[in-house]
Amino acid sequence: MATETRPSSTLEPRERLLWAWQVFVVLVLLWLALNGLRYAIPGLVAALAGAGMAAYLATIAPRPIPPLRLASFALFFVVESMRGGLDVAYRALHPALPIEPQFCRFSLDLPRGQPRTLMVSALSLMPGTLSAELEGGGDTLVVHALTPGAMASVSLLQSRIRRLFALPDGAEAQGSGTAT
Amino acid sequence: MTMGLADLIGATLLVLGCAFYGAGTVGLLRFPDVYNRLHALTKADNQGLLLVCAGLAVLSGSWGVTALLAVIWLLGLTAAAVSAHLIARHARHGPDPGVSAEEP
Repeated sequence: MATETRPSSTLEPRERLLWAWQVFVVLVLLWLALNGLRYAIPGLVAALAGAGMAAYLATIAPRPIPPLRLASFALFFVVESMRGGLDVAYRALHPALPIEPQFCRFSLDLPRGQPRTLMVSALSLMPGTLSAELEGGGDTLVVHALTPGAMASVSLLQSRIRRLFALPDGAEAQGSGTAT
Repeated sequence: MTMGLADLIGATLLVLGCAFYGAGTVGLLRFPDVYNRLHALTKADNQGLLLVCAGLAVLSGSWGVTALLAVIWLLGLTAAAVSAHLIARHARHGPDPGVSAEEP
């Protein structure tokens, strides 16, 4: 997906440390879910090894993810994906099959790396939208919309992702969907 | 056999989850092309998985099982989102790039 491949040697040590930290937290949580507090020492060792490997292999700078913003985004995502499920179930079961599918292009206003990857992945679970393809070197997202109105989810999701990664507002209004 | 409130809530969530899986399958059969079908499969099935996991978590009454179910839901979610994108992208480069509404 949206990955910028620059020589991995250009990543600063601070950036590699942030990668290691983020991967470490995820791996520790996964170990806790799978094993509880049993075998805590092997779990920590394995998580540290995974974190080190992630920092070694990283090709793009990570972004800080403040926990409170992550919780707020998770809540938004669960509510919207439930709306998405209800919406598509209603359309599938409705006798008249009320869909008006079309492809739209959306100019992404998100940096490469985690923000774009999250956008492309999460968009397919928002109401009525499916991320079909990245064009123009990853700057334009081709969206398949079940209805013309569904394109509103795209800019909404983008603004929530900007908030999650603490990206400054402003250029937000530029990203607009254009029907093709 | 007596049913507590938790059993009732858990069973209701399970039935609702199955209903969403059913709706996703109906969408797979009724929607016209690969892109529309992906909508039904990713969104309705993800919703079904969430409700089934929530129902099982309530029935288990255990935090350990709930954490495992949360991991299952997150993995299912990721798999659904990524595979939907990959299938759609592949379809756009195939012999049948989409519905007639695609290009002007």
